[in-house]
Amino acid sequence: MPCTCCIIPNDVLTRLSQDKKLSAPLRKQMVDTVQISHELRELRTQAAKLTNVVAARASGLVTLAAAPAVTVYDCKHTQTLPGTPVAKPKTSSDASVKRTFNQTTKVAKFYQQVFNRNSIDDHGMTMMSSAHYGEKYNNAMWNGSQMIYGDGDGSIFVDFTKGNDVIGHELTHGVTQHSLQLAYSGDAGGLNESISDCFGSMFRQWEAKQDVKKADWLIGKDIMGPGAKKKGFTCLRDMADPAAKHCLAPQPTKYSQITPGMDPHYSSGPPNLAFYTACTTLGGYSWAKIGQVWYHSLTGFGPTPNMTMKAFAARTRQGAHTLYPGDAAVLAAVDTGWKKVGL
Amino acid sequence: MDRLKIERVGGFAGVGGPHLKSRGEVAVSDLSAADQKMVDSLFADPSKVPAAHPGQADAFSYRITRGARTIEVPEHAVPPTIRSSVKDVLD
Repeated sequence: MPCTCCIIPNDVLTRLSQDKKLSAPLRKQMVDTVQISHELRELRTQAAKLTNVVAARASGLVTLAAAPAVTVYDCKHTQTLPGTPVAKPKTSSDASVKRTFNQTTKVAKFYQQVFNRNSIDDHGMTMMSSAHYGEKYNNAMWNGSQMIYGDGDGSIFVDFTKGNDVIGHELTHGVTQHSLQLAYSGDAGGLNESISDCFGSMFRQWEAKQDVKKADWLIGKDIMGPGAKKKGFTCLRDMADPAAKHCLAPQPTKYSQITPGMDPHYSSGPPNLAFYTACTTLGGYSWAKIGQVWYHSLTGFGPTPNMTMKAFAARTRQGAHTLYPGDAAVLAAVDTGWKKVGL
Repeated sequence: MDRLKIERVGGFAGVGGPHLKSRGEVAVSDLSAADQKMVDSLFADPSKVPAAHPGQADAFSYRITRGARTIEVPEHAVPPTIRSSVKDVLD
């Protein structure tokens, strides 16, 4: 049996194998040991190389998951998409472009850190945005593949990139498109809009490290222009009080008040209030548990384009129990939220 | 029948609600020949109105009224002359 240990240096083994005072079989074993030792070293060298390659690639994958590419284009006040690519949006002297880049990057981080989601599609999809869309354009939207932001007319609205909740809202439409795939009318349309408001508001709260009591629960507060404020409108929507007079777009508060053909930005009122009520009933950070229940309900079951609000409510109730079996307060809070709006 | 009444609705702000309206008017004769033809064909057969892009959200659409008939067209399919005819106002 040849010795394969490597304690004896090869040069010593080689010298001994040539020592004629030793028996021929022993000298043969020493030659074999040198040979095997050499092959073992080669094997370890290859294994080390393989480990390095794997480590390098794995490190790259982790980096990709944490930070998908974020690109920003400048439409230069036209409605031609995507516009001119901005080479270094992070350091751009254009405040809208820089804000779009920075806030979009933070939304990516929010989804990664809070929900373990890798970008809009959960596969590292590039987050693409176009700023300065149109002339005094009073809108922000998701067109099915990218975000689009107008500058506002300066009276009713200011630059739509100024709202971190707006940016979170638009990106979440992308997440919905790549998960539940909700339609844009009826109950599903209202849910679609509500989910974007919920995650847009959660992102706003997460960025400011606000618990549910400190959060303002307003949608569009930072894009209201002087003309709108002068008339007493402090926001577009208020998740805590959807029908409030300070809302430029006041919403119904009960599911029974939703009418056929209603714009989803109005039918989103009841599920918005349900989410707010669930969050404030439980307390703490919105994204810690109730947000997890909503995310699970949005992403955990495949597409359901025509989902009703009743079915979504049932799914969150079930999700609260599944995710937090030892914490009955979560299910109770979710139940309180939906009951408040009649679901 | 030369006038088109335009109302822009939807968007992130839910334009067309109780406080925010976006309205305008266009003379058909002010449209290019190609746009006139397109408008005519949409009123003749509203099923030809292009669909919204899959997955899109918060986009505007335009309610175009000619006489007693109204069609609703997603913004991407609306001619620039009609798009720029509307003005946003607070009620």
